[in-house]
Amino acid sequence: MSIAVRSHRTQKRTAHLVRIWAGVIVCLLFLFPVLWMVMTSFKLPKDIFTVPPTIFFTPTIETYTSYLQYADVPQRMLNTVIVAFGASIVSIVAGAMAGYALARIRIRGAATLGVLILASRGVPPIALAVPMFLVARNLGLADTHIVLILAYCSFLIPYVMWLLRGFFVALPKELEEAAQLDGCSRMGAFFRIIVPISLPGIVSALIFSVILAWEELLFALVLTNNFATTIPVAVAGIAGDTVNGANWGALAAVGTLTVIPVVIFALLVQKWLIRGMAEGATKG
Amino acid sequence: MARLSSQTTTHPSRRRTHTIDLFSRWSFLTPATVILVAVLAYPIIYTIVISFSELSLATFSPTSWVGLDHYIDALTNRNFLNSILVTGVYLLFALPIQMLLGFGTAFLMNAEWKGRGVVRALFLIPMVVAPVVAGGIWRQLLDPLWGAVNWFIGLFGAPALDWLGDPTLAMITIVLIDTWRWTPFVALIAAAAMLSLPSDVFEAARIDGANWWQTLTKVTIPLLTPIIAATFVVRWLGAVKMFDIVLASTKGGPGQATNVVNLYIYEEAFRGLHFAEASAMSVVVLVITMVLTAVFLRMSNKLEEKF
Amino acid sequence: MTHTLRKTARRAVIGGLLATAMVVVAGCSSGSAGAPEGGGVGTADKPVSIRMIANEAFANQWQELMVPEFNKDFPNIKVQIDGVPYAELLAKSMLDQTGAKPTYDVIIADDPWIPQLAQTGSLLDLKKDAKEWTADDYDWDDFYAAPLAAGEWDGVQYGVPVRSNLLLMFTNKKLYQDAGVPVPTDKLTWDEFFEQAPKLVRDTDGDGKDDVWATDTYFTRDSLTPTIWQTVLNSDGGQLLDKDNKPAFDNADGVKALQTQIDMIEFAPPGASTHGFNESLEAFRQGKVASLFMWGSVFKGTAVDTDTTTLTPDQVGIQVMPAGEKMAGAHRGIWSAAVSAKSPNAEAAWALTQWLSSKKGEVWQANKLGVFPARKSTLASTPEAGSEWLAPVFTALAEGFQVAGEGEMWRPRLPESDAVQQILATETARATSGEISAKEALDNAADQVEKLLG
Repeated sequence: MSIAVRSHRTQKRTAHLVRIWAGVIVCLLFLFPVLWMVMTSFKLPKDIFTVPPTIFFTPTIETYTSYLQYADVPQRMLNTVIVAFGASIVSIVAGAMAGYALARIRIRGAATLGVLILASRGVPPIALAVPMFLVARNLGLADTHIVLILAYCSFLIPYVMWLLRGFFVALPKELEEAAQLDGCSRMGAFFRIIVPISLPGIVSALIFSVILAWEELLFALVLTNNFATTIPVAVAGIAGDTVNGANWGALAAVGTLTVIPVVIFALLVQKWLIRGMAEGATKG
Repeated sequence: MARLSSQTTTHPSRRRTHTIDLFSRWSFLTPATVILVAVLAYPIIYTIVISFSELSLATFSPTSWVGLDHYIDALTNRNFLNSILVTGVYLLFALPIQMLLGFGTAFLMNAEWKGRGVVRALFLIPMVVAPVVAGGIWRQLLDPLWGAVNWFIGLFGAPALDWLGDPTLAMITIVLIDTWRWTPFVALIAAAAMLSLPSDVFEAARIDGANWWQTLTKVTIPLLTPIIAATFVVRWLGAVKMFDIVLASTKGGPGQATNVVNLYIYEEAFRGLHFAEASAMSVVVLVITMVLTAVFLRMSNKLEEKF
Repeated sequence: MTHTLRKTARRAVIGGLLATAMVVVAGCSSGSAGAPEGGGVGTADKPVSIRMIANEAFANQWQELMVPEFNKDFPNIKVQIDGVPYAELLAKSMLDQTGAKPTYDVIIADDPWIPQLAQTGSLLDLKKDAKEWTADDYDWDDFYAAPLAAGEWDGVQYGVPVRSNLLLMFTNKKLYQDAGVPVPTDKLTWDEFFEQAPKLVRDTDGDGKDDVWATDTYFTRDSLTPTIWQTVLNSDGGQLLDKDNKPAFDNADGVKALQTQIDMIEFAPPGASTHGFNESLEAFRQGKVASLFMWGSVFKGTAVDTDTTTLTPDQVGIQVMPAGEKMAGAHRGIWSAAVSAKSPNAEAAWALTQWLSSKKGEVWQANKLGVFPARKSTLASTPEAGSEWLAPVFTALAEGFQVAGEGEMWRPRLPESDAVQQILATETARATSGEISAKEALDNAADQVEKLLG
């Protein structure tokens, strides 16, 4: 009998190891183009388009030092951080509340409102960008951080709302009932019970909100000129260089740089996420 | 669900509680509604108005009313209709692949080990790389002359494939790049959802002697249905708007083979400066998107109820 | 008594100070309200600020290098240059200029955009409204006709050339010599080009596969791709649109021109049908193709800068494009600078624009920044030490401007120019990808252009 138990356990362990390694391999496969991008960022322009592709080359950090100062990247990075996080935080708060309302609260007309909000996501952003610019200009808000944050909220809130609605619907109904029997208001129950339990979902929504806002290009192009421009605009400028040819080294360098803050953010938040899960698990 | 007031009496204090209750319910929806109305109301109205008018480029305001002219032009425009078809084909392949691959990868990534957080954070990267850069890098990798991919498959004797120049391969290319970018999104959401699943149900299933397949189909998937539906809808809406990947990799070519509808509208608006016509096309796309979204939502509601 | 005197004195001083203050304040405010419309070129205490919208590709170069040089002559004009990616530059310029108070005083417009911008009424008539601010030795006649015409619309001069570009032919002399083919001169014809092309496709390392090819250029779906066959058409004496703005390219000449571009693909590297600006440029820079039809502005990065190219200045030739039945070919791509008519600082804006396009400014830009000039005097001059690579470029440009002027080798001069170009781009792409024939593509394009222009 002990042999059967032991071999079953080995089977489980092997299955577990296979699962881990499969995940790692898939991750590496997905990262290959990124690795290529990082390599490219260290190449001289003439080493980038060689036949066959060069894998061994003399690296240079000149792209990072010279071009990036030139193109005002630090300022734009700061703008991107401000706008992405600002919009994400606003959207998470507004979207989580709205998603909860759609999932758990019976309100007449809420479902229709929800569908309308979601459908607004279907409008091609090109159509919205020009009138937004006209309004922003009339209000004197063109080329400011706030106008970008608001513009980003317009597409982040519907996303967050529907994603988190899915999470909230899956929660057991007894949670609010218990809280309300204890005398909590709806809002109190939401913030004290529902939110902590749904942290994995909320944190995921936050991460991807930051990512979506981080890389948004069209609104940034139309609504900003100089003061509040973001990294994606800089990237588009480098790629669309019709004078010298796209500087692929610079593109790869900017690409690499923009990836790093978000990954660090995700790593930090991941740890918190796992800790939250552990606490949730012990509470049962 | 607990209700705080009955709705049949008009006793003053009950009415007050009722009002307070209504207020407390709507307060959840208020922030989102206020922000969205403030930001989207004028642009959407503007778009609809100029889609029925001529736009003066000297003032960017509508001049004369032309009724349905722009709409008729759009619906008889061969290029516009072709771009809708192209978008449809792309969605038909990209969405299912991304959902399957995403949920499958999430399952793999949820394996408990020390490096799990690192793998998850790294897996995000394809989503974060700017679309222009992603398109450019993939273009390089797929180039027939100096691309790493062709060099690699050339080692196995395969001929150099014209990834960007052949219409079918170009469509595969954009599906490939889009999948590469967005599978991490699906996987991330799915992973979080799988972590939130209550463990007692799985315990019960195990005790009942369910095997791997039965657990998957009778327990996991039903529990995950709301998330699968929500992710699908969210991804569907995002994919419909995709155009930056195409612009950076195939530019809509070869010919019109990958000219997705949002790219077409973008070029009409920003290159041709045909804002009024582009608005009409945007409204057409919006209507189609809304109809299909409603269909998907109804389907997902039915599935949710079933489970 | 002393006390009263002191009090009166104090009151007088205070009163006097107040009066002076009021006069100064009134002077300042009336200064801004009652000053001449241009606002002048600023003084040391009251500098003038102007903003320019330009292509991101050169905005930084100008901000960092050109503005300080400009400030040596005009120290009280503060210039801020905002860069916008090329694809969105026209739309952003239009959006800005049509507002009540535009942000930008100077607009840098690509070749086909001046009619569109001018039609909105937001550009200044340079020869008339800026006449009193123009230096006596500015010499409008010193410009070649073709580049200057890029800034003109409906008889009014709205812009002046500040970065003059032409579509030209680059040759890798070494590849021609290695293949035993005579290096092309500016007398090359298209027939000779296609005679030479097969000999230039070779296997240089003996592995049985070709690794150098004859040519490369724009073939992909891009609004600049049709300019290639348009040049062929122009050099045969044809035009895109006739005097009544009706399509004049859906005929035998047009088909021959488009077919010429399609035939080039046969002698271009694999995957060339998807090549655009970047890919064809890189192919040439890596020494993979013997000839390249591309904007002359890439010359420095292709022949001189060792960071970006494997070629050397004596390897790279630059000249006009091959001759058709009537003349050689070139295609104009001039960046013009225009001044906003609603700008409160029009004089300062014109000061900058004038400086950039003046004889002195052009010589400085050409030698220090490698930016191409449009003046006969500049193109006839000898480049300074360190910029000797400019010499063959000047020769090619001078000939190119001449030829472009004679054959009207530019994109249609209409407000709808970009829209026309979009139509041509789509149909050309379908033809170069082999989806449809050249004739069908041109017929489709002609139908759509006719419908567009009404």
